[in-house]
Order: sequence, then C-alpha cells, then structure tokens
Amino acid sequence: MLILQILLNAIVLGSLYACIAAGFSLVWGVLNVINLMHGSFIVLGSYLAWGAYKALGVAPWTSLLIAAPVFFILGYGIQRGVLNRVIAAPVLVTLTLTFGLDLILNNAMLVAFKADYRQLVLDPSLGSLSVGSLVVPVDRIVAMIFSLLLTLALFFVLRRSRVGRAIVAVRMDRDAARLMGVDVPSIYATAFGLGTAMAGCAGVLLAMIFPISPIASGSYLGKAFVVCVLGGLGSVPGAVVGGLFLAIVESFGSLVLGPENAVTLSFGLLIVFLIVRPQGLLGKRGFE
Amino acid sequence: MTIPSAPLLNLTGIQAGYGEINVLWGVDLTLARGEITALVGSNGAGKSTLMRTLSGLIVPTAGRIDWAGEDLCGQSPAQILARGIAHVPEGRRLFSSMNVEDNLLMGAYARKEPRAAIRRDLDRVYATFPKLHERLGQAAGTLSGGEQQMCAIGRGMMSAPRLLIIDELSLGLSPLLVEQLVEALRSLNREGLSILVVEQDVITALELSTSAFVMDMGRIVQSGRSAELMHDPAIRSAYLGALAA
Ligand SMILES: Nc1ncnc2c1ncn2[C@@H]1O[C@H](COP(=O)(O)OP(=O)(O)OP(=O)(O)O)[C@@H](O)[C@H]1O
Ligand SMILES: [Mg+2]
Repeated sequence: MLILQILLNAIVLGSLYACIAAGFSLVWGVLNVINLMHGSFIVLGSYLAWGAYKALGVAPWTSLLIAAPVFFILGYGIQRGVLNRVIAAPVLVTLTLTFGLDLILNNAMLVAFKADYRQLVLDPSLGSLSVGSLVVPVDRIVAMIFSLLLTLALFFVLRRSRVGRAIVAVRMDRDAARLMGVDVPSIYATAFGLGTAMAGCAGVLLAMIFPISPIASGSYLGKAFVVCVLGGLGSVPGAVVGGLFLAIVESFGSLVLGPENAVTLSFGLLIVFLIVRPQGLLGKRGFE
Repeated sequence: MTIPSAPLLNLTGIQAGYGEINVLWGVDLTLARGEITALVGSNGAGKSTLMRTLSGLIVPTAGRIDWAGEDLCGQSPAQILARGIAHVPEGRRLFSSMNVEDNLLMGAYARKEPRAAIRRDLDRVYATFPKLHERLGQAAGTLSGGEQQMCAIGRGMMSAPRLLIIDELSLGLSPLLVEQLVEALRSLNREGLSILVVEQDVITALELSTSAFVMDMGRIVQSGRSAELMHDPAIRSAYLGALAA
C-alpha cells in the first residue's frame, strides 16, 4: 500500500513537472534559448495566485484565466523587446542575457515579497479523497488535472493550430518556414509567450501545494532542465514522459535513500542521461 | 516561332551574395508570362543564390526585380510570396517530422482565403500527385526522394502562386519519376502557371522549357529558345559532351 501511495504522489508531482517543463522545452527547442527566467516566471505565477486569492478571493483555477494571457503578453514583450536583439547570437550569449534578466526579476520579487515563505491556504479546504488506505488531498488532484489539461492544450495548439504549425515549422527549418511566408520574429515571440504562459500557469497551480518564495525559482528551473533532458528536448510528450519519470525516480529514490538525497538523485540521473541517452527517453530530435 | 508574350518578371543587374562574398555579378533575366523557363549552369554558378534572391531569402546589393510594375528588391519572403512567387528550394526542405498534409497546409500558411478554397487546392495537389494522397498522414521525412519532391512542389502550389520556381527538379530521382514530374509541371503550366526551373540535366531542362538561360560564375552567359539552344554547338560541347558525340 505504501508503494501505491508513493506512486500516486509521484503521478501528481510528475504532472506538475510536465507542466513546469513543457514551456521551457518549447522555448529551448524553437528559439534555441535556455531561458533561465523560467523558474522566476513560475514563482511570479504563484504570487499572482496567492495575491488574487488573498485580496479578491479568486480561486487558483480561476486565476489561470488571468495568468495565461498576462504571462503570454509578458513573454511576448520580453522576447520582442529584448531577446530578439541577440537571438542570432550563440547560445551562451542568450543564456547570459536571460541570467541577467532573471537576476533582475528575482531580486524585484525579493524586494516586493521578501524571502519569507507564503502559503496559499484554501478556506474552506477541499479536503481529501481516500480509497482504501490511499489518501490524496483534493487540491493536489485539482492541480494535477489542470497541469495535464494545460500540457495537453499546448500539445494541441502546436499540433493543430495554424500558429502552432508555424512554430513547429520554424523549429524544423527556419528558412523553409520563411519561404512559406512565416514571420520568424513574431513566431519566436509567440513561442516565448506560450512558454512564459505555461510557466505562469504552472506557478498558479504549484501555489496550491507548495510554499511560495523567490528562492524556489532555482529549484523549479532545475526540474525543468532535468525533465527536458530526460524526456527529450522540444517535445510536449517528452515533457510528460520526462516529468513522470523524474517524479517516480525521485519519490522511490527518497524512500530508499532518504528524502535529503532526492535532488542529488535527479541531477545524477541528468548526468547519466547526458552520457548514455542524450536524445532523451522519447529519443526524437524533431519537435512533436 | 511565336511572338514572346509580355514579361512576367524582369531582373536587371542583380548583385547578391553572402555577407562579404559576392556571388551574383549583375544578372539580367526576363521571364515570359505563362511559360516554363529553365536555368542551367555548372555547380557553384550561382543558380540557387539567384533563386534565393528572387524569393527574398537574400537581399540583393544592387539591381532591380520588376514584377507587375513593382520592384521586389528588399521585400521579405512573406511579401514576395504574397505577390505570387513560390520557391521550392534546393534539397526540398520539407518539415520532416510533420506529416504530408501538414506540410502542404504550411504552403498555404499565408493565405487568408476561407478554408474551402484551401481545401480545393489541397485536392488539386492530390489530384496532381495521387501518391501524396496515399501518404497524407506519413511524416514527410520518411517519404521516398520522389515523393518528397512531389510534396515540395505540392507545398509550393498551395500558396496559389503565379510563378513557381523549382531549384533542382530531378536531382537524385529515377528517369521514370522525372518523367512524371515533368508531366505534372506541363499540366500545371497549361492551367496558366509560369514556372522557372533550375535543372542540372540540360536535356531534361531544354525539353521541358520554352526558353532557357545559362549561368556561369554569377552571370547569365547565354539565353534563348530552348529548342534552338538544344542545337547550339557551344551548349552541346559544354553540357551535352558525351551524349552529343
Ligand atoms: N550560405 C552560403 N554562404 C557562403 N557562400 C555560399 C553559401 N551558399 C552558397 N555559397 C557560394 O555561392 C556560390 C554559388 O552557390 P549556389 O548554391 O548559388 O550555386 P548553384 O549554381 O546553385 O550550384 P549547384 O548546381 O551545385 O546547386 C558558391 O561558390 C557557393 O560556395
Ligand atoms: Mg544549387
């Protein structure tokens, strides 16, 4: 029963990981930019959910409706206004730039919210669901369902919509996409906007479960990075597979090795994958 | 001999290249409306560079591209596509993990017409290349070379162009397949599409086209009606060497 309980928790966590990583993976895959701001966007999303609930009583799942467009516009603007100027530069340059921007954003949050942990506590609480001896708090289930829905939505946008096809086309062959009349800078901005919106929404959902602090951004960024490498870069299914895999390994790993070793374990896994299977579990180079 | 129809496209003194490297040294070229024109020349002559300049991937450093009373120099690929010029690039450049139909739909990306019009053109592509219809759900990267070329040409047609430019029509394809593609292009041409084709195989090029240009070292060195060029001693010795003997 303990095993089942751990597996259940891992699936909840894995869905959140998928949501954290999907946008990061999209930006990395399409723009070839490793966006170090991703973790801070997530934390900012958590603050948005926290503030909306505290000040206005807006439930996190309703906040998603605000977070998605707001973060999309934020990401679109940052890409158009700043990143786009150096997009052709080597990956190290864009990495450094997002590092700098992240310092600004993260410190601004530190100033605004302090490093104290805050908690979004739903009142009344949603209670828990129990089946046999398995117990899961309902807020976690809600967060899981919305994570999966968001990830699925991103998948369908990329697969089925006109702009999604253009994003995928740009990723696969930029010049060929230009020949189709695709305006590459605006597609880059759209992809970055989508990635940022995913981060913000993930933050909203994480606020239902985890304490909120600017300090958490590094750990979210690390998860996104590891999930991308595990699942395979630049694909939504890769993010889902990688997210679940990481969560399962972490959960059972901390059972065996102790929770203090979970982070070491995930980065150990990262190194093993980079050496043994750099293309990730799904093993595809193209964007799916 | 027929009287040449009004020019569709007129290039004068086009210079272009890659950064510091200049490749085209003043290209003059005129395309007749409703015709198939061939561009031949040795490797590295600058044919693909000229095609890229025409479709806006490269911005020329000098010269004019006259099209329907407008200079296309400096316009973006999207703008040029909207004017009616579609470019099937060298190496086909399909979106390899997208399926055939999505590749074709990417060809219609910039069109603002209703879905029905695009659907009609999709059916037209399938009618021209029934093979593509059989494989519409298959990833483009897994198609055979011939099917890939059909898909690339189909994708070009999906923008409903007035001029289709095809870089390397027959490269790597069997004679039978080339014959099929030539037939398809002839039928598109009969429906009113003007075509500019870059082709390594001079015989195929001259048989397919009405007029032709020969390029060397970034310049047009010869031009004329294809039927006449076929019997030109200089062409025969330069390009048809072994076959002409
Ligand atoms: N991206 C590039 N950067 C720099 N130089 C280039 C580039 N592409 C082509 N060139 C150079 O431009 C010249 C013309 O190349 P181009 O591809 O236009 O020739 P081509 O006539 O199409 O040859 P082929 O028959 O082999 O396709 C060559 O000398 C080539 O090295
Ligand atoms: Mg070429």
